[in-house]
Amino acid sequence: MDQSRVQALRRTICGVTLCVLLTAPAWAQQPRSARPARPARPHRSGLWGEIGFGPGRIRVACSGCTDVVAAGGPTGYFRIGGTVSDHVLIGFEAFSFLDRAFGSSPSDTTAETALATVVVIWFPGQRGFFFKGGVGIAGGQFTLPGTAGADTSNGAGIGLTFGFGWDFAISRNFAITTNFAAHVTAVGDVVLPGQRVDDVIATMYQGAIGFTFR
Amino acid sequence: MTASLLAVLILVQLDSAQSPRSPPSPHTVMAISQVALINTFVNRVDAWVFQQDWARSGTRVWGRHLRLGWEWDEDAFTTNMFAHPYHGSLYFNAARANGVGFFQAVPYAIMGSWTWEYFGEKYRPSLNDWYMTSFGGITLGEVFHRITATIRDNGASGRGRTLRELAALPMDPIGSLNRLVRGQWRARGVNPPEHDPGSYVFRIGGGVRFAKGLIADSGAASMGAMLVDLLYGDPFATEYRSPFDVFGVRLMLSSHGGFSSLRASGRVYGTNLNNPASRARHVLAVNTRYDYFKNRAQSVGGQSVEIGINSRWPIGSRGYAFRTSLFVDGVLLGAIDASGTGLGTRTYDFGPGGGARWEFGFDRHGARFVRVFGQLEYIHAVSGASADHIVDFSGIEANIPITRGFGIAAHSTVFHRISRYSTAPKDERNYPEARLLLTWTKAGFKP
Repeated sequence: MDQSRVQALRRTICGVTLCVLLTAPAWAQQPRSARPARPARPHRSGLWGEIGFGPGRIRVACSGCTDVVAAGGPTGYFRIGGTVSDHVLIGFEAFSFLDRAFGSSPSDTTAETALATVVVIWFPGQRGFFFKGGVGIAGGQFTLPGTAGADTSNGAGIGLTFGFGWDFAISRNFAITTNFAAHVTAVGDVVLPGQRVDDVIATMYQGAIGFTFR
Repeated sequence: MTASLLAVLILVQLDSAQSPRSPPSPHTVMAISQVALINTFVNRVDAWVFQQDWARSGTRVWGRHLRLGWEWDEDAFTTNMFAHPYHGSLYFNAARANGVGFFQAVPYAIMGSWTWEYFGEKYRPSLNDWYMTSFGGITLGEVFHRITATIRDNGASGRGRTLRELAALPMDPIGSLNRLVRGQWRARGVNPPEHDPGSYVFRIGGGVRFAKGLIADSGAASMGAMLVDLLYGDPFATEYRSPFDVFGVRLMLSSHGGFSSLRASGRVYGTNLNNPASRARHVLAVNTRYDYFKNRAQSVGGQSVEIGINSRWPIGSRGYAFRTSLFVDGVLLGAIDASGTGLGTRTYDFGPGGGARWEFGFDRHGARFVRVFGQLEYIHAVSGASADHIVDFSGIEANIPITRGFGIAAHSTVFHRISRYSTAPKDERNYPEARLLLTWTKAGFKP
């Protein structure tokens, strides 16, 4: 590129930058009414409830395990709660994951986990995007084929959930909600005849569609 | 890292130039930057200065952590139950020091801890670390934030002002660093609302502690002890305005074992259950609680949320009253040692639980003369032994004023524990303890 074209390009960039810098404050000081109005969204208030379903994936780790076992399965959840403010909801959530074909084992090997958590849902902006987080209790049931039928181990422990989603308001009292969440359950030792897995932590990843009623 | 540190310090400086003497308005970008800086700083100091291999994490380690996920770690009790909550308080107070409110600061502790676990060290992310750093960091963080606000005085000057700022430094280093860079260690101005707790009771005592089974499994031993009690606010004198406008802290140091116990409980929500003008008062409270007991005989602690009723029945018109408390709680994650517990090199279990506590007291303007209390907690181990633990902690405390704030305190407590294992016999232990202390009390009351 010759020197004159470089200088012309530099002058153009400086000119555009100057224009942006000079006009930006003026644009920012326009009256609010001059800007395009955002579509109205129903104000969040009162009680609400939500139910949803979707596919999930479970990842089971344990103390001393060098790798994890993962499998897919259906998930479902139910949430109910109240409104703290237009941006913050608080409620109770029950979540369940069901796997009838766990890992690469035969089909009678199952893993079922469930959480009951207190959740806080935070809408940072004016639209429907939200973050979710919660802590509570968890339970898990693991069934493996045994010598005399199926052997089952139950565990209970702590549950943790966090995620995000989008609330599409269909009407004042109804919304369709997308959810992407991780649910962590720590259910202690899984003890089965002939084998013992210490300190099991199962993490479920969920993508779900929910129906919200207000 | 030096560049990022300089960038944050310059931003703090520019920020302070806009409003040098007014309370800070929320500065989200600054708060997030400081949380990231804390993690970067701690990681690089461990890697470069202390040559710790675990701090040499990179993209390959991060990928492995994201693939394998959570596990339970084997760190020492003090590391997990005190150092991690203290670390969490740094995240929380990075937000609070930048004008972020209590509830808005909660995600900073949670995300600061999460990013550290996944990206800050070579070890797999530890679920117990995340719980302790996040929830312990919130409780201790707000306690430290408010205590340091009462210590610092923006109206003071000279050597006394500097000493106040230095005294606040260990509890809130991030807040102190922000104030130093903003020139607030010297600039005079109005104090934040947290500076004045309204009513308060501060009591410090030193003396002797007699304990059975603390040093050896049999026989009693005596040792020196120092006790610090702080009641910030009064649930009956202070209507609920903001989280932790009422909280209590107890710290005990011992000549045997050093840092022996730390308990903190703060009100995150409260409301009157009857007419505030009534003579007898009943107040509902939701608290978050941090517990840490550590000595040779007993290691127990955890993060809890409790809900209950505080009641007060006045006697006469000079401030004397009977007080009662009845609370039930959920232990988000607790830790306890017993014979047969632990995992690998760790000698204690982790688990959730629940329980209740009660208290009956006689006081004047919140300063207790007599206190009888009991607490029962159940912990179901999810990491360590296959066990269920029941802890019963009860006692009676008497404080007799003598003159000019000085007094004598006599305490008698019993720590009782039952551990039931799926593969071992039941383990049951008692640890009685008595304390005789010379105390000094300073109290203020604002109805």
